[in-house]
Amino acid sequence: MKQYDAIVIGAGNAGLTAATALQRGGSKTLLLERHNIPGGCATSFVRGEYEFEVALHQLSGLGTEDRPFIMRKIFKDLGVMDKVEFVQENELYRIVVTDEIDTTLPASWSGLRRKLQADFPSESENLARFMKLCETITLESFMMLPRARKANDEATLVATCPNYIKYGMRSSKDVLDEFFDDEKLKTILAAYWCYIGVPPKDIPFPDLASMIYAYAAFKPWHIKGGSQALSSALLESFMEAGGEVRFNCGAKKILTNGDVVRAVVTEEDVEISCSAVVSNASSIITYNELLDHDQPPIAVREDFKSRRMGTSAFVLYMGLDCTPEELGVTAASNFICTTQDENLVYEGMQSMDELHAGMLTCYNFDDPSFAPEGKSIVTLVNLQYGDLWKDIPEADYAQTKYDFAEKLLDLIAQTFPKIRDHIEELEVATPLTMMRYLNTPDGAIYGFKQNPQDSELFRDRIESISGLYLAGCWNNMGGFQPTYMAGESTARAVLKKLKTERKECEYA
Amino acid sequence: MPKSNVLNKVVGYQEAVKAKEELAKTGSDFTDQKWATARTIAKLHPKRLTLEVSEIIDETETTKTFRFVSTNGFLPPFQAGQYINLFVTIDGVETARPYAVSSSPLQREYYDVTVKRVAEGFVSHYLLDRLEVGQQLHSTGPMGTFYHNPVFHGQDLVFLAGGSGIAPAMSMIKDVLERKLPYQFHFIYASSYVDDVIFVGALRALALKYENFKLTEVISRPPEGYDGRTGHLNSEMITELVGDLSHKMFYICGPTPFNEYCQSQLWELNVEPRFIRIEANGPPKYPNQMKDWPESVGVEDEITVTVQGKGNFRAKVGEPLLNSLERNGYQAENACRSGECSLCRVKLISGEVFNPPEAHLRKSDKQFGWIHSCVAFPTEDIEIML
Repeated sequence: MKQYDAIVIGAGNAGLTAATALQRGGSKTLLLERHNIPGGCATSFVRGEYEFEVALHQLSGLGTEDRPFIMRKIFKDLGVMDKVEFVQENELYRIVVTDEIDTTLPASWSGLRRKLQADFPSESENLARFMKLCETITLESFMMLPRARKANDEATLVATCPNYIKYGMRSSKDVLDEFFDDEKLKTILAAYWCYIGVPPKDIPFPDLASMIYAYAAFKPWHIKGGSQALSSALLESFMEAGGEVRFNCGAKKILTNGDVVRAVVTEEDVEISCSAVVSNASSIITYNELLDHDQPPIAVREDFKSRRMGTSAFVLYMGLDCTPEELGVTAASNFICTTQDENLVYEGMQSMDELHAGMLTCYNFDDPSFAPEGKSIVTLVNLQYGDLWKDIPEADYAQTKYDFAEKLLDLIAQTFPKIRDHIEELEVATPLTMMRYLNTPDGAIYGFKQNPQDSELFRDRIESISGLYLAGCWNNMGGFQPTYMAGESTARAVLKKLKTERKECEYA
Repeated sequence: MPKSNVLNKVVGYQEAVKAKEELAKTGSDFTDQKWATARTIAKLHPKRLTLEVSEIIDETETTKTFRFVSTNGFLPPFQAGQYINLFVTIDGVETARPYAVSSSPLQREYYDVTVKRVAEGFVSHYLLDRLEVGQQLHSTGPMGTFYHNPVFHGQDLVFLAGGSGIAPAMSMIKDVLERKLPYQFHFIYASSYVDDVIFVGALRALALKYENFKLTEVISRPPEGYDGRTGHLNSEMITELVGDLSHKMFYICGPTPFNEYCQSQLWELNVEPRFIRIEANGPPKYPNQMKDWPESVGVEDEITVTVQGKGNFRAKVGEPLLNSLERNGYQAENACRSGECSLCRVKLISGEVFNPPEAHLRKSDKQFGWIHSCVAFPTEDIEIML
């Protein structure tokens, strides 16, 4: 008799979601977390009077109460809807390109069209066609395409996914170039690439289209108390359902009988038997270090070869003793670039010397309760690839991080000139900080690089080790909604397997 | 991919598959990354250090400096002002205390830890009376947020230290002077008695040698005939010593009453909070004197602490939960023991605790019952999850 049906390694978004869905689905589940708090990225920390959101900028996929979208159902099924409060953002984003662009888009599908058509009258018809395409290709890729693939039926695909067939494999840049002449409009529409860390020429068009459509139609959201509140709510729901959790207790090994999972050994050298393991650790560490095989399975190694390491992030968490208004903030989410040249911006993400883009998120703009009265919490982000930081001698690390922080502040101060005058608290997080807290190679925050070939469309499900499941961003997209969804779908797969095994037991 | 894959119908799919095959030809299977992440993190943030006492230096009647070297030869870098949490076992009780590193961050052969005897202390007595050269202890890596942050702390620094609060200042002073940083550093050192003054010889020598370093010694209980500066660091004295207060960064480190007093004086002088940095200093000694303490409860009252699935014990209301847990053989991760670092976070399943303002809890912690055990005072019978 196994001690647990399932052991979940890591209480990040996907791990927490998987554990909660498993326990609520009737599986006896143990959740192991090497830190003392659940959430992974979805956490917060306190300095003085300020509680800083670590990673969530805009939660997607929730929809409104009147017009709910998929995350509302997932959170309801996980038992957390009555434990957290969501705050809607009114703007999609403000984008500033030095001397070229300064515009703010509303978080409304019809409002977005009106705003852009008013600003770019010559592109009016193209905009109408483009937005229609964004909407339909989003629905096709999320609803119809999976059905057609499951049935593996060409006729279904042709009948239900005409836009996907035409545009599904094209790059975002390619499609923007096809629809529009105005370079500024293209820059404005492509701004969300700054969240992904891959330039528009390498982002599959459906990814950008669904970001624009989902955020505008279903709104961007904050969480009261930050993403930590949702992480703690998930844990609470997991425990209410009878789930067991151990903090400060990482997993050391996943033990197998040949190619079948049998147990997990904790950091404290305790062996715990189980039927299934869900690893929320990176796939690289899961197969290289946790699995008790000398080498990762051949299918895994083959799969890895066409992957590339994903982006990390450099972040300044700032508590300011002024209001958002005094700072000049007019939207919660801001993209600040020095140039419209995306390739230059992308090169900057791979350099310690150049910096061409940054984001500023102001958390108390739409939710005044997020910061003490009269004060503000803002986060500055520059997506950056972590390998830049790995070889810096440890004695030079602190100075290097402060030097780079100055660069990011200089960039942001071009748009928010008063920002340096109000700093009451400031913490700098580098890719090495991400590495420390997330335990990911190169401090990657979204798993592997999200180039077109990273998509699961090009990947077979790896089932080399029976009972071992990966939940997280390393074989799916990164970000909040994708990782919650990955946890939920992984739990479904595990529940199905456990049910089948139980039946086999009964018949045996 | 099987030939019958419907995606073949999608324009550009074949090309994308070819692109993937090209990537595979030049890619890595990442087996060379085995343990690479752990090794990189360990260079900066090892979870534990094994330290050995290499030297014990008598500073004053009540104070010693312990020089620690690493048993594996490696000590991570730290920012001057940071602390390590020293784990000790005293007569069977496993506990720990955080101590600022007083040596310069520019050398990592050793960390100095300067310990002053605390009147009703537990660990300070052990270290001062029983720790010997050659003995080994575990500690955390360097931690804490009390240090000069060059991004916004400026170059005009004033440090108000009381008693053993000099320890982080020593490291900061050495850092600034040895690196020849273009900062003004004014160190104002308040002590009760003249024979209580730590590091004073070294400090006076530095003040003579460096123009950008200024030392002011203040004694609150001077002997007869003492001709130095006496009194308390009130607003008048601060104004007299510091002059123009604008754009100076104030660091305050000493016993909690000293910290609170200095802060109140700076506030009185309209120094804005963003120019004041205070090092946390342990749990409050008199929680019952704080705002929101439940009137009907006394610090000497006894309550029962139940640790879910593990057992229970009796403890006094006035004793921080982490301390009573340790005295009764339970372990919780910890580091700052002052409410800030959040490592000793435990879940309160039932009952009430008093959380002083020192407990830097997250908003959602309050909703879901998480507490920082190092500064939590159980005001009735409680059950917790460890």
